[in-house]
Amino acid sequence: MMPFLDYKNVVPKTVIGLLVALIVILPVFTTNVITLSIFISSGIWAIAAMGFTLVLRTGQFSLGQGAFMALGGYTSAILTVKLGMPFWPSFFLAGIVSGIVALLVGSVVLRVGGTYFSIITLALAEVVRIIAQQWEPVTRGTRGLITSPPDPIVLGGLEINFATSTVPYFYFTVCLVAITALIFWQIGESRLGRSFAGIALNPVLAEHQGMHLMRYRVIAFTVAGVFTGFAGCLYAHFLTVITPYMLGLWQSIQIMIMSIVGGISSLAGGPIIGAILLYTFGIYLSRLEIYGIQQLLFGAAVVLVLLFLPKGTGLVDLWERFWRKVVWREEEYEPDTPDD
Amino acid sequence: MPPVGIWIDGLIQSCIYMTMAFGMVLVFSILGILNWTHGQFYMLGAFVVYYAVTAAGIPFPISILISAVVIGGLGILVEKFIIERVSVPSAQGALYVTVATIALIFFFEGTASMLFGMQDKGLAMVLPGVLNLGSFSVSYQKIAVVIFTLVIMITMYIVLNHTKVGLAIRAAAQEPVAASLYGVSVERLSLIVMGIGCALAAMAGSIMAPLYVVNPFIGGIPMIMSLLAIVIGGLGSLTGAIVGGIILGFLNSVVAYHLSYFSEVVLFLLVIIILLVRPQGLFGASLK
Repeated sequence: MMPFLDYKNVVPKTVIGLLVALIVILPVFTTNVITLSIFISSGIWAIAAMGFTLVLRTGQFSLGQGAFMALGGYTSAILTVKLGMPFWPSFFLAGIVSGIVALLVGSVVLRVGGTYFSIITLALAEVVRIIAQQWEPVTRGTRGLITSPPDPIVLGGLEINFATSTVPYFYFTVCLVAITALIFWQIGESRLGRSFAGIALNPVLAEHQGMHLMRYRVIAFTVAGVFTGFAGCLYAHFLTVITPYMLGLWQSIQIMIMSIVGGISSLAGGPIIGAILLYTFGIYLSRLEIYGIQQLLFGAAVVLVLLFLPKGTGLVDLWERFWRKVVWREEEYEPDTPDD
Repeated sequence: MPPVGIWIDGLIQSCIYMTMAFGMVLVFSILGILNWTHGQFYMLGAFVVYYAVTAAGIPFPISILISAVVIGGLGILVEKFIIERVSVPSAQGALYVTVATIALIFFFEGTASMLFGMQDKGLAMVLPGVLNLGSFSVSYQKIAVVIFTLVIMITMYIVLNHTKVGLAIRAAAQEPVAASLYGVSVERLSLIVMGIGCALAAMAGSIMAPLYVVNPFIGGIPMIMSLLAIVIGGLGSLTGAIVGGIILGFLNSVVAYHLSYFSEVVLFLLVIIILLVRPQGLFGASLK
């Protein structure tokens, strides 16, 4: 017997699948460096935004995700340039170092949580920038470290060379985004993800149910730190340079804006959509050469999303509502809202 | 021991951080949120004074008042049309307000760079002259900053302790529900408090305008410093904000004299240590 096909569920997912497939086979149509680098950079920001969303799931508001990108980038840059290590081990070490810093900072600061956590992570972003700027013998100060592209991979007779073309970077980023999205999505679906949401919704109740607040917060912060470190390492090696001002406070806030505009209701989809749209939009705006218009419109976009979309949702939710209201023309179900 | 000039510079910085942190804590005690845009109101206040003095030729003391009124009004608009609508009474409500005010940092800096340009602007010394005190000398401008801050603090003390509005603010800060039962409109009070807080930031910016350069990005450092001052003093404590501002202002200049740029790392470490030892800050009530 033919199983019942819920077309209202399948069609939107198919459209998303086709869009993803289109992005994945993009290098078949164009190998234009500019087009590909827009997607690579937005993929990198998407990973960082996913990390932010994961920390936000536990109700904590990190303003220092840029610091973890900088940590990852600098770790890998120092290992490859100063110590002459190959790229791939240092790529993983970058994530591990960034994760360890997140674990240490988190296990200290997440005790107080809330606003204090935001302020301290903001301070962390500044501290990392100042150290990168001042520790001249190792980081070369504001001149930055010049990194090399990843080493070529030899698969059978095929050699994947990062130095000659942008396409390997593109597929590397796609893989990294896909792995991160898969892991984060699985975390969100699992018992761990529900615990995250629980301790955000009502910390007191969650604690009385026997959940260890600190443990879940630190887990979320550390996992986010590891993947943000990977993203930072990729960023440094893609741009082949890392300077203190590349990943500072404003980049942390940009990560926050991408996550919020994309929608924090989903751990993977929202940040990816937000990063791709806002990064592309930002590139377009920076070509206009009107200084400040990018900040102005980014700021306005967040405020508008918060004002006019239902609370806690972003563009991801708009997508579902588009199908429900415009395509299927469903009647809005109005639940009774009890007055409290 | 650093020279006297460093201590005077520390006093000047204490004055900014104190005024800024005071406004921030005042807003926090009524609205229950931190206004992350505070530094940008400081920046806009400096710009209003700059244009009032150079373009319109208004005397400096009056332009400070104009900037306080204009930026206070802007703060009221932000509270009325953004913060009030974004905040929802739930655990996530404060989060959305945080996001919105951080987004406004971008918005105001972008607007300022588009309107006023990114290059540094300088206001000529309004009070020329130097007071010579034997081994060292102080410019009248710096003395004016200190006196002005003292006047603001004394005014705020009188307003908070000896007027009806001050009584209402203190009551609403302690028990919002009970205060509204006694006929205090907490909504209207939040508008007033937001106006006062932003006006304080604007006045800090305007009194500093002749001493430092004015550009769209000057708000960041005072904002971070006053945030740290609040953390040191304790979230929600007005005395704590003043003491925290003084500590940070002096530390910032005195430690910077010995360690140059690494002084900021020392400051952040100090704040982290204070948070570890006493999470509620020096003067804060214990955490919920």
